[in-house]
Amino acid sequence: MRKRPWWKTVVGVILTAVMLFPVYWMINVSLTPARNMRKSPPNLIPIDATLDGYRRVMEQQLPFLGTSLVIGVGTVLLTLVLAAPAAYSLAKLRPRGGSALSFVLLIAQMIPAIIMAMGFYAIYLNLGLLNSIPGLILADSTIAVPFGVLIFTAFMSSIPDELIQAAKIDGASVWRTFISIVLPVSRNSVVTVSLFAFLWSWSDFIFATTLDGGGDFQPITLGIYRYIGNNNQEWNAIMATAVVASIPAAVLLLVAQRYVAAGVTAGAVKD
Amino acid sequence: MTAQLSVPARRVRRRGGWTAWAFIAPVVIYLLVFYAYPLARNVELSVRDYTVRSFIDGTAPFVGFANYRAVFANPTFGPALLNTGLFVGVSILFQFSIGLALAVFFVRQFPLSGMLRALFLVPWLLPLLVSGSVWSWMLNSDSGIVNSFLEAAGIGQINWLTSPHWSLFAVLIANIWIGIPFNLVILYSGLEGIPLEVYEAASIDGANGWQKFLRITLPLLRPVSAITILLGLVYTLKVFDLIWIMTRGGPADSSTTFAIWSYRLGFGSLLPDFSPAAAVGNLLILVALIFGLIYIRTQSRLDPA
Amino acid sequence: MEIKRKFTVVGAALLAAGVAAASLTGCSSSGTSSSSGSSAAKGSYTFWDPYPQYDATSDWAKVIDTCAASAGVTIKRSGYDTSGLTNKALLAGQQSNSPDILLVDNPVVSTLASAGILTTTDQNQLVVGDVATNILSAGVIDSKTYGVPIGSNTLALYYNPTVLKAAGVDIASITDWTSLTAALQKVTAAGHKGITFSAIGTEEGSFQFLPWFWGAGADLTQLDSTKAESALQLWTDWVKKGYAPNSVINNTQTTSWQEFQTGDFAFAENGTWQKADATKMGDLVIPLPAATGGSAPAPTGGEFLTIPVQKDTSRYVASAKIVTCLSSTENIVKTDNTLNYISVGKEAQAAQLAADPTLKPWVDAVQVAKARTGDNLGTKYPKISEQLWTAVQKALSGSATPADALKAAQSAAK
Repeated sequence: MRKRPWWKTVVGVILTAVMLFPVYWMINVSLTPARNMRKSPPNLIPIDATLDGYRRVMEQQLPFLGTSLVIGVGTVLLTLVLAAPAAYSLAKLRPRGGSALSFVLLIAQMIPAIIMAMGFYAIYLNLGLLNSIPGLILADSTIAVPFGVLIFTAFMSSIPDELIQAAKIDGASVWRTFISIVLPVSRNSVVTVSLFAFLWSWSDFIFATTLDGGGDFQPITLGIYRYIGNNNQEWNAIMATAVVASIPAAVLLLVAQRYVAAGVTAGAVKD
Repeated sequence: MTAQLSVPARRVRRRGGWTAWAFIAPVVIYLLVFYAYPLARNVELSVRDYTVRSFIDGTAPFVGFANYRAVFANPTFGPALLNTGLFVGVSILFQFSIGLALAVFFVRQFPLSGMLRALFLVPWLLPLLVSGSVWSWMLNSDSGIVNSFLEAAGIGQINWLTSPHWSLFAVLIANIWIGIPFNLVILYSGLEGIPLEVYEAASIDGANGWQKFLRITLPLLRPVSAITILLGLVYTLKVFDLIWIMTRGGPADSSTTFAIWSYRLGFGSLLPDFSPAAAVGNLLILVALIFGLIYIRTQSRLDPA
Repeated sequence: MEIKRKFTVVGAALLAAGVAAASLTGCSSSGTSSSSGSSAAKGSYTFWDPYPQYDATSDWAKVIDTCAASAGVTIKRSGYDTSGLTNKALLAGQQSNSPDILLVDNPVVSTLASAGILTTTDQNQLVVGDVATNILSAGVIDSKTYGVPIGSNTLALYYNPTVLKAAGVDIASITDWTSLTAALQKVTAAGHKGITFSAIGTEEGSFQFLPWFWGAGADLTQLDSTKAESALQLWTDWVKKGYAPNSVINNTQTTSWQEFQTGDFAFAENGTWQKADATKMGDLVIPLPAATGGSAPAPTGGEFLTIPVQKDTSRYVASAKIVTCLSSTENIVKTDNTLNYISVGKEAQAAQLAADPTLKPWVDAVQVAKARTGDNLGTKYPKISEQLWTAVQKALSGSATPADALKAAQSAAK
């Protein structure tokens, strides 16, 4: 039993290395000076490393990173607020038309983002939400909410009814039951949905460019365009931005992994 | 006792109905405003003939299904249909199986397994502009690292992005790479939910690893697998950024899928042509809808409760 | 409870970090004095341009502010990715939310004009200064002028003297296609790489192909002529024989330039905007040769200043003032030097030449350049261009012969 784990670690490291090779390549390009960009064959290790890209990112991109963080957290909160109660209702309260709603949620995810973004433009213009952070939070949540409802529903359906009944007998209202009993027990699915919502919002580009193109607060996916001029692109800076942008998300991932792992679709302990 | 309970029960049921809808109402309004409206606009775009001028002043004539007929008659339709089918089918097949294999690999803890599993999700964090660009870089015919490896291995140069034979493969590889984390996360948590006692009981009965996988893991994982595959299908149908950055659907439509075609019609040239773009977009949604219906049908057959 | 606390801590930390970093925006946002919300208040004007690489601290932003101040208004400038700007302009125009001044790539002007979202000089009272006709023609549709150019650029043939010397090629001998191909043969035989350009499936690809297309004497209204075929055959043969790398099919002008920067290539077809970089590397430039001798007409690049339609027509006064200020000789020379463009008026060009005599080949090239949407092609050009780059892609990737590819292109472009 003791000997098995070690070879697994070795295999695991090799698999991870293969999977992350493109990420390594991204770091490699971020350190490459312009004249070596199209060198054939390319340097496996950045021999002629330049920190030019990173210097520019540090000087220029931090506000964009900050905005992305704010939008990300906002999207998570909005998604949870919208999705969790709705899923609870679909899973436990079983209103009429609930299965139709589930189907609609499935279809809702099928609409390509560009169609959604173009539709939002008119709505946002009339509501004054263009070029604003709340606007982007709202738009990015549309990526995560249907998915969130589906995951939460799947999870909450497996919460034993006895728990809910017990609360009801004690005189708790539906809302109270939801807050005090269901949510704490659903912690793993909450983490999972939060993770997806944050990551999808972090890497969103279409909504950002259509609805916040001219704003003062732009997310990092637009900040990258600093280095994409009308005639010239600066690839080391672009890749450096990506590397720096990945760091907060990677940290989040490491923290959240533990909770996502522990059974999203399984419920609280089944008998 | 019974008399005392029947009154609260009735009250609870009625209250439950109203409260249930109160919980759902925000999402319903949300769906109507943010999904139904753009979809309706898109349908409207596809049944009228919009030029740039009528897009601005709103005077486009109603043309019924003319745009759809033009789309079906377009020489790009066949290749796009084929490419979409291949792209989605092969992507899902590999994303799912590799994701499942990795999930099985990781499910028993070993030193560093937590960290490695988290690292596997890093491809997901990268904006698609960056992932697409990195893969473009790596697959470049002349200065790409992949061709360097191939030449070192004696296979020679493959024109990944510029050859009509290889372009679809190139975007497939990149898309599979990006899709593995999603599958890994969901399938892993599904696996974690299978209690160990079931496996132990099977071991006692003399089942080996492969039999346990086929007879226990796969069947118990079916609901999770089904939703993973369905969502994977829906998301892959929509994939656009990756292919656009890597090959723009070319050369000569060899990597054009419906999503790419729709975008190209609308925004790919200097003169936007919204109506055919909207028509192709709606066809895409229709295809996804059909898959959704198949899923619902399969679900109800598996789970009559 | 412990987990809840952990989440609260993580969430709060993220939020705090985010707000702290976002507050740094005060130091470097893309706009200057901002108007709240999306509707510009009276006295505050909006300016859209395709230069996201310039932020508020750049010379470009400063000259806009100065011109706005001289017109008595404040201005908010936003830089957008050039490929998405058309769509944004149309979307904004549809919702009557157009910017006051819109700077767009010249082949797009006719599209926006036909959409009805741009004003003519009759409507906005803009006085067009000294602008060469060949450059202005991109903004003239049905004898109405819809904008003025901010500057112009075009294509030429850069060469690496070191590589040429090593291969024994004399640059003076390159006068037409035959001599160029012969030079490429010599260079590749000597172990170097021949020529790099951009043949990507976007407007950039068409842009790079046009000097060869026009250099053969072909016309954009007749994509399947034998002259057009000879131009496409030239490129196809180069790729087949290895004189041009396969990557040209996916190259943007930037990645093509990066290939040239490795020092392996003898020639690169690229634009005015690379001249500073080229000088640094010691590379020189000659005009692109036409098929049988002489210089090939190259397409004009560069953006146009336009004034979109507004509900409140009194806004045109200040907008026109700003545009005039930006295109005044003094400002335009400064701007064009920043953008690495060539000025479009005789006086401004003379000023540029006086300051930098090495610009002579570029000034000459711009004077004989052709506008892509000129000759009243207008909104027909985008469709033709799309078919042209598709044909180039098909031929270079081997999916079709040049003749077949161009025939398909011509019937689709009709």
